[in-house]
Amino acid sequence: MKQPKKRRFQLSERQLGYAMVAPSIILIAVIIIWPIMLSAWNSLFDYRLNDPAKAERISSLSINLETYADNRYLVYDTMEDVRDAMPDAGGTLDDITTALDEQHETLLNTDEGLADRYEEVNTMLDNFQPVNDEELRLVEVPEEWADGFANTLEEQTAAVQGLREGAPEEAVQPLTDLESQLSNTQGSILEPNFVGLKNYSTYLGDGRTWTAMLNTLLFTVVTVGVELAVGLAVALLINRVFIGRGLVRAAVLVPWAIPTAVAAMMWTFLFDGQSGIMAHYMAQFGLIDDPGALLSTGAGGMFSIMFADIWKTTPYMALLLLAGLQTIPRSLYEAAEVDGANKFQQFISITLPMIRSAILVAVLFRALDAFRVFDLIYVLTGGGPANSTESISVYAYKLLFEQQNFGAGSALSVIVFLSVALLSTIFIKLIGSDLFSGRLKQ
Amino acid sequence: MKRSFLMVALFAGIGLAGCSAVTSGDGASDDRVQITYARGTDTTGATDVLVEAFEKEHPEIDVEVREMPSDTGESHNQYVTMFSGRSEEIDVFDADIVWSAEFGQANYVLPLDRLIERDQVDMDAYFPATVEAGRYNGRQYAMPGYADAGLLYYRTDITDQVPETWDELEQLAQENMGKEGSKFGYLMQAAQYEGIVTNAIEYIYSYGGQVLDANGNVVINSPEAIEGLQKMIDITNSDFVPNNILNFQEIDTESSFNEGNAVYARNWPYLNDTANDPEISKVAGNVGIATLPAGSEGAASSLGGWMRMINRYSDEVEASWTFVKWMSGEEGQKISALEGGKAPTLEALYDDKEITDVSTVLASEDFYDSLQNAIPRPITPIYPEISDIMQIELSRAMAGDITAEEAVERMETKMQAALESVTN
Amino acid sequence: MVKRAGVGFYIFLIIFVFLVMFPFIWVFLTSIKPQGEIFSSFQWFSSNMTLDNYASALETRPLLMYMMNSFVVATLTTIISIIVASFTAYAVTRLPIRFKGLILGLVLAASMFPQIAVLSPIFNFVTDAGLRNSYLGLVIPYITISLPLAIWILSTFFIKIPLALEESAKLDGATPFQTFRKIIFPLAAPGVFTTAILVFIAAWNEYLFALTINTDDRWRTIPVGISFYQSQYSVPWGDITAATVIVTIPIVVLVLLFQRRIVAGLTSGSVKE
Repeated sequence: MKQPKKRRFQLSERQLGYAMVAPSIILIAVIIIWPIMLSAWNSLFDYRLNDPAKAERISSLSINLETYADNRYLVYDTMEDVRDAMPDAGGTLDDITTALDEQHETLLNTDEGLADRYEEVNTMLDNFQPVNDEELRLVEVPEEWADGFANTLEEQTAAVQGLREGAPEEAVQPLTDLESQLSNTQGSILEPNFVGLKNYSTYLGDGRTWTAMLNTLLFTVVTVGVELAVGLAVALLINRVFIGRGLVRAAVLVPWAIPTAVAAMMWTFLFDGQSGIMAHYMAQFGLIDDPGALLSTGAGGMFSIMFADIWKTTPYMALLLLAGLQTIPRSLYEAAEVDGANKFQQFISITLPMIRSAILVAVLFRALDAFRVFDLIYVLTGGGPANSTESISVYAYKLLFEQQNFGAGSALSVIVFLSVALLSTIFIKLIGSDLFSGRLKQ
Repeated sequence: MKRSFLMVALFAGIGLAGCSAVTSGDGASDDRVQITYARGTDTTGATDVLVEAFEKEHPEIDVEVREMPSDTGESHNQYVTMFSGRSEEIDVFDADIVWSAEFGQANYVLPLDRLIERDQVDMDAYFPATVEAGRYNGRQYAMPGYADAGLLYYRTDITDQVPETWDELEQLAQENMGKEGSKFGYLMQAAQYEGIVTNAIEYIYSYGGQVLDANGNVVINSPEAIEGLQKMIDITNSDFVPNNILNFQEIDTESSFNEGNAVYARNWPYLNDTANDPEISKVAGNVGIATLPAGSEGAASSLGGWMRMINRYSDEVEASWTFVKWMSGEEGQKISALEGGKAPTLEALYDDKEITDVSTVLASEDFYDSLQNAIPRPITPIYPEISDIMQIELSRAMAGDITAEEAVERMETKMQAALESVTN
Repeated sequence: MVKRAGVGFYIFLIIFVFLVMFPFIWVFLTSIKPQGEIFSSFQWFSSNMTLDNYASALETRPLLMYMMNSFVVATLTTIISIIVASFTAYAVTRLPIRFKGLILGLVLAASMFPQIAVLSPIFNFVTDAGLRNSYLGLVIPYITISLPLAIWILSTFFIKIPLALEESAKLDGATPFQTFRKIIFPLAAPGVFTTAILVFIAAWNEYLFALTINTDDRWRTIPVGISFYQSQYSVPWGDITAATVIVTIPIVVLVLLFQRRIVAGLTSGSVKE
């Protein structure tokens, strides 16, 4: 039976299979899985970009030479200003200088070549260049030195505070600056900020996380449920044969074709309590008490968000189901008709079972999207009023980009990931087990 | 299937044609230094005039303008993404006045002290609050750009009575509501966003309260702050404001005021331009401005506006500084005022007839006073977190979920916890 | 299924389509109102309709260029994504490879992480690759994001194609790849076109990555471009509604062209057998 091979070189079926899978896997691994793992790693640190002492992941006690050199320069500069404004502070300032110099010498002697690195950093700073090279910027320091340095800084800060009393007017500003600069210098010592699962315990114990989680869950269940029901009806409708079917299909898809960012803007316009047409009609038909309630109350806000999402995403669901309907051979219906089954019976016994896998894929992916809802809420309500519409992604976004708390934001993202993974596993196990087993045959 | 393959081929052709454009960068190879200046969308065209004037004076520097999202929060987040990736794409950018401490501590922006000292820039020529807003821990991270301060707008065709105090405002708003087809007595911003914080600060400070003191300690839990907040709650819950005031931002205030719906409104100076534009406004010519009403301790306007910063990772520091210095100097600010209606931060420019002729706001003594006494929002590297805490609790208080006392207590606890979690 | 649609059906249809389209219709009606009337009334039609908003929308920002950018990005994304995804789907459903469950699970897991949280790493990746402000800078992330959905949908379609067809092709001496290209892929046309529409529109709609990665106006896509009509304190609804209408038209045309394929594929293909 075997055909003689036509070419000398040919991949076996299995090799071909791996070759065909490879591009997807490589893309997904590089673009998505790697960032996920990075986030998971970040979530184990107290990692905040707007705090110089925590702006990188540090696993052993180190000093940031950039911060150190910069502040050292400023401290000495400001001390000159103080000296000018307050000549009788000279003695104290000399003491401070001696103490700081002593620490500086010790630091430079802790490691060979450190003095050169310090000089290099200093030169870069003089030229306003950033020190991007981590190898150059970060130096591990012994604990004794760091402790001693912290003590010195504390003592000198106290000494500066002592000078404040009886200081002439023009010395007040330099003294305040000097104090800040000394405390900034302390910020160059980077303590290890690995905190293990602390971010998780903090945010799992926080009421706001759970409110956001519940909001997200409610949003997911309601929107996906309604979208499935309406989407199925729409799919059945546009699957019928009638004049102008193409146009109706295109029309039904219009909501989905409007970019979410634009649609969300459009809905703020339509839901507006003063001039929004939707709010106006809803109030007129007695659906809501007054047009203002839509976006300014928690329940109204949640309703508006869900409504806008259902309007926009139902076509997506309908399209997926419509494609599923196409895979049903017409002969099945013809046979059922011969057997005398009515339309409803046909729907239950043929349509539903045949599009089951389409429904599963549609619901699964819609639910994954809905659980990560972001743009719509961010534009429509920003999570308000009183945080009653905040979703978990919106919360994570605020932590990551508004507050620059990368550790906490990553932890929340991982929590979303785990919840979604759990939910979809349960979903696949309960309803969709054939989805996997079906695939796995052969 | 033939047809669809044809279509695919067609698309691919277009795609490739598009792709080839990627490689064709600008081949300008003269000795001019090129810097990129990022700012929010500018519909006035002032930026182009500004850049042109600068390039004329400094032919060696070529400034390319990069538009950023007009939404302040969104552009903040975009800068964070860029700078945390140490991107050198942008050299100079417009920064909201609340960003300096945060960006400074994150090492995103260049401290300007050495440059200011070297070039002897006179920082005393600016309104003090606008300089202070760019300063943190003894370092100057920004040069003042243009300023905003909260103002009270009123309809001159309805009333000539300007409320001196918040109590008077309540009374006058109630009395005048309904005249000339108006529906509301007063408009403000109370949605859960940055605006509710700026509004609340005006109430709190006008009654003598504070959020953070000079040393960065949380002092919001005070009888004065509670009194101010209570006044804000009273007003947002009164029947002379729209019932969806909890969703009001500047834009809603603007459209409603311009529609002729309100007697009084709190907004930034920009409203004066649109309200007097007969194309979009029904109240053109009938708009009056005044300082905001006072509490027991006088009036307080929140300071708004934008500053100029230099990206820490920029490789054209000198050219960037030249540009920043020039923009913040007299010439640059004058162009911004004349072309864009932006309020200068240089005090001396308010004596310039050309500038005060631009608009009634710039000519107004009240506005000058408001700027002179404007209240910057708390200056701290974790301002976004502080603001987030305030937004949530204020929004809850306005919605009636919690009392003013509870609100300040909760803000105090949460802010203290937030401040403790950072080192400085 | 039979041509029996009566008048009642069409009336229902018209009402239904009207309700679905209402928000868009209102956007359209707003776009032809003069500036001053946009906020003032709930009247459907203005007595002095105008196309000023359209002129202004096209004038104030390079809307047609945004459309071109979006079109190129979405098209490239769709083509590459469909090819790559159908390879994977075919291998997973038809070829004797191991770890199928793991592959499908991994692919699914890729759409479980909040996109906002991968924004920074992807931004850094695109920057390092020198692809900022280019089509590819968006196409690569978009393909990756759309792959999971595409792979899963295509798999459900591929698996339904009778094995017998493939067997006979094999007997005729076709290589597995030829079988894929000549039999499976065409037979799954409804699935392929559905996926294509979904992927295309997803790429057309994406905002956050487009905003962050392509900061130069020359490379901006539609969602970002439209959001740039507003300035800090003003939203020119006239321009925005006009722009929304303009950018929606090509999508409608595209769907009109593609939707036939969704239905045409199977009826002309496998069912004949």
